[in-house]
Amino acid sequence: MITRLVLLLSVLLVTLTIAIGQSSWTPPHTADGQPDLQGTWTSATLTPFERPAEFKDKAFLTKEEAADWAAKHARSDAPPAEGDPGTYNAIWFDSGTSVVKTMRTSLVIDPPDGKVPLTREAEARRNFNLAHNADSWEYMSLWDRCITRGVPGGMFPAGYNNAYQIIQTPGYVTIVAEMIHDARIIPVDGRPHAPSSVRFWNGDSVGHWEGNTLVVDTTNFNGKGWAATSASAGRVRGVPQSVDAHVVERFTREDANIITYRVTIEDPIYFAKPWTVSLPMTSDPTYRIFEYACHEGNQAVPNVLSAGRVHDRDAASK
Amino acid sequence: MKIVKAGIATVIVAAAIPLLMYTPAPSQTPGSAMPRMADGKPDINGIWQAFNEANWDIEAHSAGPSPVLVDGAIGATPPGMGIVEGGTIPYKDSALAQKKENYKNRISLDPEVKCYMPGVPRATYMPQPFQILQTTKDIMIAYQYAGAVRQIPLTNPGPAPSDSWMGTSVGRWEGNTLVVDVTDQNDRTWFDRAGNYHSDALHVVERYTPMDAGHILYEATIEDPNVFTRPWKISMPLYRRVEKNARLMEFKCVEFVEELMYGNLRKQTAR
Repeated sequence: MITRLVLLLSVLLVTLTIAIGQSSWTPPHTADGQPDLQGTWTSATLTPFERPAEFKDKAFLTKEEAADWAAKHARSDAPPAEGDPGTYNAIWFDSGTSVVKTMRTSLVIDPPDGKVPLTREAEARRNFNLAHNADSWEYMSLWDRCITRGVPGGMFPAGYNNAYQIIQTPGYVTIVAEMIHDARIIPVDGRPHAPSSVRFWNGDSVGHWEGNTLVVDTTNFNGKGWAATSASAGRVRGVPQSVDAHVVERFTREDANIITYRVTIEDPIYFAKPWTVSLPMTSDPTYRIFEYACHEGNQAVPNVLSAGRVHDRDAASK
Repeated sequence: MKIVKAGIATVIVAAAIPLLMYTPAPSQTPGSAMPRMADGKPDINGIWQAFNEANWDIEAHSAGPSPVLVDGAIGATPPGMGIVEGGTIPYKDSALAQKKENYKNRISLDPEVKCYMPGVPRATYMPQPFQILQTTKDIMIAYQYAGAVRQIPLTNPGPAPSDSWMGTSVGRWEGNTLVVDVTDQNDRTWFDRAGNYHSDALHVVERYTPMDAGHILYEATIEDPNVFTRPWKISMPLYRRVEKNARLMEFKCVEFVEELMYGNLRKQTAR
């Protein structure tokens, strides 16, 4: 009973906060009356994707804990361990300098424990992909292959080039991600999804407005993608995305500088229940998006594969 | 977007009071005038496509066989009258020799074979649609082929940080014409499948002039003193894709070239 009351109270409190939040700031509108989300936004953050074990059942950090986490996890250069070829040095990375403003211990906000509810199938398929990475591109990350980071994977912080430009034209909201130059052209004219025979790496997105929130519904995935591609996604990196995946994203402009991005992912083969990520996209009018020619300069795929073949030869000669 | 069937009356009203309100769904009917933005500039938002044979060869050319035997008639070159003003590209002698060499080796050298970004102007006449996204401040062009994107700011953001595949574009309106200055392209793209090429000194000035609501006249001046004896021009109409269900689809062609590019490095498992 007490638990229920507490739950009810917290729901009320959240509702109240949302109501206050919405009334305190009125977003600008485009000429044709849509809430204006346009501009250049970045999603760099030091907040971990899933809640780290050390935080146990703690959903929010204190100021001190947040500062401590930021100090410990800010990127810095360190010589790679012996035998490790190393990776980009700090100048390439843009992982932000602080945790999210909400002080949440993870970007995953539901389930309440901050952990993505992976099924056994998800873990098995992920483990297979990661273990066979050097066998063929088919098991590699689609990001490494320079195809796409996916939907919603492409909205999760990448670690670098985390910038997005939103442009609104009559009937469309377009989100261009700098990473792999992905342009998502989202119709907001009430059209239905594409026929189910048509499949896309990034799915078929259709949007509509709910008050000041852009809601984007995505289906029609081709079943060849991954739920997440960035290392920061931890246990979720390498989990496939099935043809039945259903993604609902909500973009809410909170104030002049922040869009809250919230996404709920359903894919029953790989997730025991739907899960939700929330992260802030911060305005950065000084950011100049540049061409990210990924495939055109992709040395990762041939290098990983040729290293794999050398490894095979060594193993065979032993 | 509210779907408004704008008849002639609406167009007249919109033209009479262009600053009063934005017309969200202007008539896109070929034959009527190109709609206008709130600031009076032509509204060229939409899905467009060139319908010609320039991607095979921008110069006038006869039909030709497929360079790959097994493709038969599917891979054959459709004949075209060309898009080059005056008919011939003014190559320097040494550059013309290079072009011929490119043509001979086109199956391994054409960047399109590897799904590389097409550069400008080739992106315009790839046989796939592109979408112009226009506001009063920014213009973006998203191409279906390889998912290439160009940002065309209407205020110059300053010099390009480096060369790139699609170059650096800055737009401006000259009357009804959108003029786009394209610089800083690298030397890895071609003009077509026939080996017509350029160096990294390429400078392209594109002109998009509305003809009516369904057509844009596309012109581009091409300058590259390393390869050509003088600047030269291409031009063609662009057609609005007016199908009710027209949309930019996904052509992420990387997937289609991985076997070709990396197949020899894949683990050969015993079967």
